[in-house]
Amino acid sequence: MSIWNYVVTAHKPTNVTHSCVGNFTSPQELNLIIAKCTRIEIHLLTPQGLQPMLDVPIYGRIATLELFRSHGEAQDFLFIATERYKFCVLQWDPETSELVTRAMGDVSDRIGRPTDNGQIGIIDPDCRLIGLHLYDGLFKVIPFDNKGQLKEAFNIRLEELQVLDIKFLYGCTRPTIVVLYQDNKDARHVKTYEVSLKDKDFVEGPWSQNNLDNGADLLIPVPLPLCGVIIVGEETIVYCSATAFKAIPIRPSITRAYGRVDADGSRYLLGDHAGLLHLLVITHEKEKVTGLKIELLGETSIASTISYLDNAFVYIGSSYGDSQLIKLNLQPDAKGSYVEVLERYVNLGPIVDFCVVDLERQGQGQVVTCSGAYKDGSLRIVRNGIGINEQASVELQGIKGMWSLRSSTDDLYDTFLVVSFISETRILAMNLEDELEETEIEGFDSQVQTLFSHDAVYNQLVQVTSSSVRLVSSISRELRNEWKAPSGYSVNVATANATQVLLATGGGHLVYLEIGDGVLSEVKHAQLEYEISCLDINPIGEDPNYSQLAVVGMWTDISVQIFSLPDLNLITKEHLGGEIIPRSVLLCSFEGLSYLLCALGDGHLLSFILNLGTGELTDRKKVSLGTQPIILRTFSSKNTTHVFAASDRPTVIYSSNKKLLYSNVNLKEVSHMCPFNSAAFPDSLAIAKEGELTIGTIDDIQKLHIRSITLGEHARRICHQEQTRTFAICSLKYNQASAEESEMHFVRLLDDQTFDCISTYPLDTFECGCSILSCSFSDDSNVYYCVGTAYVLPEENEPTKGRILVFAVEDGKLQLIAEKETKGAVYSLNAFNGKLLAAINQKIQLYKWMLRDDGTRELQSECGHHGHILALYVQTRGDFIVVGDLMKSISLLIYKHEEGAIEERARDYNANWMSAVEILDDDIYLGAENNFNLFTVRKNSEGATDEERARLEVVGEYHLGEFVNRFQHGSLVMRLPDSDVGQIPTVIFGTVNGVIGVIASLPHEQYLFLEKLQSNLRKVIKGVGGLSHEHWRSFYNEKKTVDARNFLDGDLIESFLDLSRARMDDISKAMGVSVEELCKRVEELTRLH
Amino acid sequence: MEEGCSYASDATNSANKAEASKFLANLPSRGLFSSTVTSSNMGGIRVYISGRDTSAPEHQVIKTDQMNILIRSLTLKKQKGDTKGVILAEGSRKRVFERSADGRASAKRATTNTQNVSQQEASNNRASDNFQSLTVERLRALLKERGLPTKGKKDELISKLRSAKN
Repeated sequence: MSIWNYVVTAHKPTNVTHSCVGNFTSPQELNLIIAKCTRIEIHLLTPQGLQPMLDVPIYGRIATLELFRSHGEAQDFLFIATERYKFCVLQWDPETSELVTRAMGDVSDRIGRPTDNGQIGIIDPDCRLIGLHLYDGLFKVIPFDNKGQLKEAFNIRLEELQVLDIKFLYGCTRPTIVVLYQDNKDARHVKTYEVSLKDKDFVEGPWSQNNLDNGADLLIPVPLPLCGVIIVGEETIVYCSATAFKAIPIRPSITRAYGRVDADGSRYLLGDHAGLLHLLVITHEKEKVTGLKIELLGETSIASTISYLDNAFVYIGSSYGDSQLIKLNLQPDAKGSYVEVLERYVNLGPIVDFCVVDLERQGQGQVVTCSGAYKDGSLRIVRNGIGINEQASVELQGIKGMWSLRSSTDDLYDTFLVVSFISETRILAMNLEDELEETEIEGFDSQVQTLFSHDAVYNQLVQVTSSSVRLVSSISRELRNEWKAPSGYSVNVATANATQVLLATGGGHLVYLEIGDGVLSEVKHAQLEYEISCLDINPIGEDPNYSQLAVVGMWTDISVQIFSLPDLNLITKEHLGGEIIPRSVLLCSFEGLSYLLCALGDGHLLSFILNLGTGELTDRKKVSLGTQPIILRTFSSKNTTHVFAASDRPTVIYSSNKKLLYSNVNLKEVSHMCPFNSAAFPDSLAIAKEGELTIGTIDDIQKLHIRSITLGEHARRICHQEQTRTFAICSLKYNQASAEESEMHFVRLLDDQTFDCISTYPLDTFECGCSILSCSFSDDSNVYYCVGTAYVLPEENEPTKGRILVFAVEDGKLQLIAEKETKGAVYSLNAFNGKLLAAINQKIQLYKWMLRDDGTRELQSECGHHGHILALYVQTRGDFIVVGDLMKSISLLIYKHEEGAIEERARDYNANWMSAVEILDDDIYLGAENNFNLFTVRKNSEGATDEERARLEVVGEYHLGEFVNRFQHGSLVMRLPDSDVGQIPTVIFGTVNGVIGVIASLPHEQYLFLEKLQSNLRKVIKGVGGLSHEHWRSFYNEKKTVDARNFLDGDLIESFLDLSRARMDDISKAMGVSVEELCKRVEELTRLH
Repeated sequence: MEEGCSYASDATNSANKAEASKFLANLPSRGLFSSTVTSSNMGGIRVYISGRDTSAPEHQVIKTDQMNILIRSLTLKKQKGDTKGVILAEGSRKRVFERSADGRASAKRATTNTQNVSQQEASNNRASDNFQSLTVERLRALLKERGLPTKGKKDELISKLRSAKN
């Protein structure tokens, strides 16, 4: 790999951190707005449910998301603050469907200690000011003027240093905050302050309350007319105001989220750490609060945010499991739950660990993640591309073409499958037992190759061979009419639809026939200047049986021509350029737009937007789909038409948001495809590949497919063992049933096909699994699972004891072969020169696999290396060991065989707190750290002095904005050795927010080109809310902020494809490269993920 | 506290079931999610790319007052000192609060008693209060501002200021 890296998101963040409901897009429309860390989603609430509107990338990690209504406004504005101290106020402009930035700013202070408990951003209910608590001991105020404009911000000193929550109180003449804080004796209190905008200071508020529940950490302000605040603790809930104090005890729980149900604030939904949903009711007589009531409603995912939508529907946003749309029923179900889960929205976060495997052994990587936490833990199998689920297959060599036919025009299902070979045609049909068997259609000529076949009107079938066109009754199966090619000419290519046939004979003759009831009439004949290579008359106009246009691809001048039908007048001629002839043309329509697709002999595909009225071709784009000739065919899946491109790299072409998308099909090579919608195999495809004919159904047409394996416990480590076809995971289960909450840790063995748990090894009390590895040792042909553990005792700061367990899989069971006690937590295990390399607290330790006299095996310590704070992440390559330390960045060690010792070779002297490391190549190492940055370091073996050689030079820096938990070499897509993209090495990463991303090492030339494109895109695509892309991607931690280098933002670069043509042209001009070339190069990159 | 509240979340308690139903009645509705078939397709959402300049209007690019909080509070107090007096120097925030509250109260009384006696008098009252509370030095400075002779005892200075005001 190289230092020039391209970072792109394959799966967007799915961890829902905030949500709110309001009239954002129009005064009449109600919206649900969801924040997923670096993106916000705007949905519309309709009588039919949630309708997605917009997915907005934000150049920052969202810390606060609030809707508010300024004075005299009819709709809400959106306030967003980011973790890097930027804020913006957004307004929706319905005319242009754009987000308008009403205000923005930087709220950072030069001095100040960032708050420990996260940033707080709140807006006064009477819209007099925005309050921010970003640094300990400071409360920042951004006042509104009476026109709703923001004024200069200022800080107020806040005496309370350990603030847990701050909210504005309702119904106060002066803006009043209520502060929940902890004093230095760990007691918790609330206090109120009025904000005096004139004096820019606090004035003692109307009331305070001391000595609350020790676990109180959430304030819920109660709106008019009741006012006051609810303080939610772990054992009590308290209502507090200047005049009233009411409390109720609750079952011990940590409340994670609340959602207000009624506008008057009398009912709230509370979600706790175990995913239980409660209803909290304030009982009151008129405006006097008389008490609180709490009722359990049921179970949901562990909520991070709750938004009451309407009509008993509630959105549950989750960080630890799938987000949900639930309905609150008036009557409980059989299990006593009032909660009905109607919809689950996939969330991969937090991805704690993952592995890349090729389960189907197709060369197609799949990612299996340990996702979710606590009770919502699961495994997720993430696969790119579209799979074919095989239903039946027959061995058939040398297929030259396939078409499906119906037994009558009105039949819903296909009956016959015409399979053409070089010198014969065979007909397959579904028999009564729903089996495919060979049959005959008497009227067809079965002694020659079929060039084309189609259903025709009046219960007829059409067969085109090199000598004739045969019209056959689909009922009697007898020949009704025949058109013979003029003597001396043979038909080369042909196409047909239900009423028309178009064919080309040698010498550039184009013949147009129309089909009647038992009649084939030659309507028109034209002589073209060159030979014809391909043609199409797929009807995409109003009449589904008749096409007004014909498309013809030409030899020699390499062009496509569009003719009108029936008179065969030339309307449009488009030269394709280059020397490769078009091999397949197709007229098709997606989402109301008409397209002409033209596939070339070298695996490239050109697409044009076609004006059906004028035949004009616009928006020419070129992509590379493979290296072999492509054959294009349409098919339907779930009532939508898609195009299948059969080649060495089969691809499905579909459209989303009026943009053509290309998704690869997980098959190696497909020569022909035709839709075959039979009664036994509905919505299936017949696929000819590698000497066999397969009938199968196709996956949903989308890019990534995610399968969930619910565990009900939290998986923390995973690895795959090819030889035994199993996965092993380290997991923990929280036991909430008992009074004392306890956790149990396990090593579990799963089947890699069914994902059933086939064997379990429980770990000791307090022992938890830290690392897992599948490996083999020198002098032993068996493969083992090695598990590293730690005894986490409550009284210890760092574990001082752990174990390495070596398991073999025997008869589907985990058998403990050897165990070795260690003096600390085994954070990482690696196979290393036929030995086992373990990272144990501060130490790197190498173990030999020794055979004892009695034939048993044991791990024996060979050598080690001290000198880390905590060696958390280790990767190896040859004799080199790369260590990611808790807080001392990356260091490079070397194992010396002769001396049997491990020595430090070099280190990075920055104080990065690492979260993952990976070796890109011999000299370049990749690291991720806990301020959401990525960086690369390079070994400096050519350094002149020892001092230089001992230093790892930082060569690349980038702010990813995501917390990376794991890197793995590998790819989500099928890598073909002969494609350009196939040569680009990639690393996959998984993050806390559920992002799966790809880091690709580019050749220098390509990097420079894309860097230029990125800087041009920055000028054209402005960040939402005025946030700067350059600033967002700059490496940022407490010590320094430097511009990103040697990393490119693939998400920005690939958004080029979503730009309007005019803006593409602007960039093309600035770059001096044609739009077509830019599209092609960017499109290629999208195939990396 | 009350009997219904104790560990109401106990899932097996059937008596509480009815309770929850009671509380779940009349959930707010504006006619959305009313269709029996709710289709919520969260996939296939359009990705937003801003089509225009996204920077805020110039006067709405907000910055923070960079002045140190301590210095700001001192200057604010100094500004107040011009009218409110130097009691602050004595160090009691509370007294200022009481004072000004008194002042307000009296002003209120004035306006409610006679509508003709306008706020001017009220402010005079307050001003006279304030004069009394100012130091001689401060009074002299005020006189100097008004171009009046600055000699005399404190009472004389105050009466000079009052007559100048009236």
